[in-house]
Amino acid sequence: MTARRLPYLLIGGAAVYLALLTAAPLLTGLWLSVTDTQLLNPMGGVFIGFEHYVKLFGEPGFFRSLLVTLVYTAATVAASLLLGTLAAVLVNRSFPGRTAARTVLTMPWAVPTVAVALIFAWIYNNDSGVLNRLLGPARQGWLTDTDWALVSVTVASVWKVFPFVMLVALAALQSVPEELRESARVDGADRLNAFRDVVFPFLRPTLRVVALLMTIWSLRRFDIIWLLTQGGPVDATETVVIGVYRESFVNSDLGLSAAIGAVGLLISSLVTVAHFLLDRREDA
Amino acid sequence: MRVLRVAAVLVLVVVTAFPLYWMITTATRKDVFAVPSWWPDLGNLGGLVAGLGPMLGWLPNSAFVAFGTTLLSLMMAVLAAYALSRFRFKGRGVFGFALFATQMLPEALIVVPLYAIFLALGLLNQLSGLVLANTAFGMPVAVWILKSAMDRIPVEIEESARVDGCPRYAILPQIVLPLVMPSVAAAAVITFFEGWNEYLFASTFMVDKEKWPASKGLASYVGEFVTPLGTVMSAALIFTLPAIIFFLLVQRRIVSGLTSGAVKG
Repeated sequence: MTARRLPYLLIGGAAVYLALLTAAPLLTGLWLSVTDTQLLNPMGGVFIGFEHYVKLFGEPGFFRSLLVTLVYTAATVAASLLLGTLAAVLVNRSFPGRTAARTVLTMPWAVPTVAVALIFAWIYNNDSGVLNRLLGPARQGWLTDTDWALVSVTVASVWKVFPFVMLVALAALQSVPEELRESARVDGADRLNAFRDVVFPFLRPTLRVVALLMTIWSLRRFDIIWLLTQGGPVDATETVVIGVYRESFVNSDLGLSAAIGAVGLLISSLVTVAHFLLDRREDA
Repeated sequence: MRVLRVAAVLVLVVVTAFPLYWMITTATRKDVFAVPSWWPDLGNLGGLVAGLGPMLGWLPNSAFVAFGTTLLSLMMAVLAAYALSRFRFKGRGVFGFALFATQMLPEALIVVPLYAIFLALGLLNQLSGLVLANTAFGMPVAVWILKSAMDRIPVEIEESARVDGCPRYAILPQIVLPLVMPSVAAAAVITFFEGWNEYLFASTFMVDKEKWPASKGLASYVGEFVTPLGTVMSAALIFTLPAIIFFLLVQRRIVSGLTSGAVKG
């Protein structure tokens, strides 16, 4: 076996696998988006050009779902980055009970999404949920009020994903050389400045990657939103991905569903490209 | 400053732990609607396992999917990560991009085409089909973590092993792999969760109730008002526990396993 062939043999399994299980379905999906395929007759679709796309971009509802997606993503990413970094910085120092605190803070990451949805649906419950019991007269319809549903779904999502940011940030913090932080302290720099000037530069490349991952994961997050609100009330939590699912499995319109999915994928791609362009500019 | 720090940790811990505490508390309470309380009913600890009945049928399915996803992902990921880390070859960039691109792909977009493919291959309603679908999303993350870890192992270690007579095929399993074990653990947890948690494929591909993984089984309680809430919470707890236990067992390794990936970014 020559050394030239070796890398191809090594990636062969993974490459063929991805071709069959992601590339092929993706291409099929893109094809569906330019046909009038219906769920009940999945082989009977006829090419109709960009009709679905034209239809989508003429619908206010679609723009609304784009907006909901962006708001949900921005809020989830910002909140989990902030909380995750804060938690990591807090437990990176030693104090009594540190291990226990760290364990508790990382735990939501291990809780299955379906369980998260059930727990939060119960906490948010209108009549008997603990949140409304606590608030008494200030009670809200956390999942049933169009003003609150997106906030509630975001909070549940952040609870589930911020520990991932924390774990990765914690790993990065441990790569900050102790001498560096010592010297910052000796120099009399106050805490916040020391963090910004000494520790943060170590965290930044990590946080940037985590921010990208969090963003593209949030853009395509389906399960927690679907299980909590199914996109409702009305369309208050109707993200792009919820729309993809609804068109396929509720309205049976596979073609339109695929077109929505394609637009969603385009948004994720743009975010990714922007990330790498920014990365390159900062490196230069 | 110190007080502020302790207060901040406390608030974070309480807020983070509360939903878990509430799940457990609710599982022990007999009538959550009539008799509200902040505390678990210690006289009804049996409530904790009230949801065990149906879960007993579903959990083995979840275990199969989760372990299958982990194994299949790691097998392919170790090889692919090694190739990406050690070789410069044509198509390397494209392959790396394809791996990353999977993370942007909405499952909802490919679930229908995948359904058609599985239908043709007889994989529909099969747990092995779920393993295949979940691996497509878990494996790329595993490759990424393992590649970053391998990047930090100096090539000289491999070269000197070669000089000492280690055959080429043994370098990866005997020299490199033991050195990246923390990252293997991190990748294993992530892929395990992928398989254990996954809901969309499970809910669309699995028809027979006895073949449901627990995610689909548990989701069938959403918006259903027949099963007592305590029982539902107990089922959620039983579904959550194995994941938390697995996570705690390898927790230490995860941080160091992610470190290598984190530093490089």
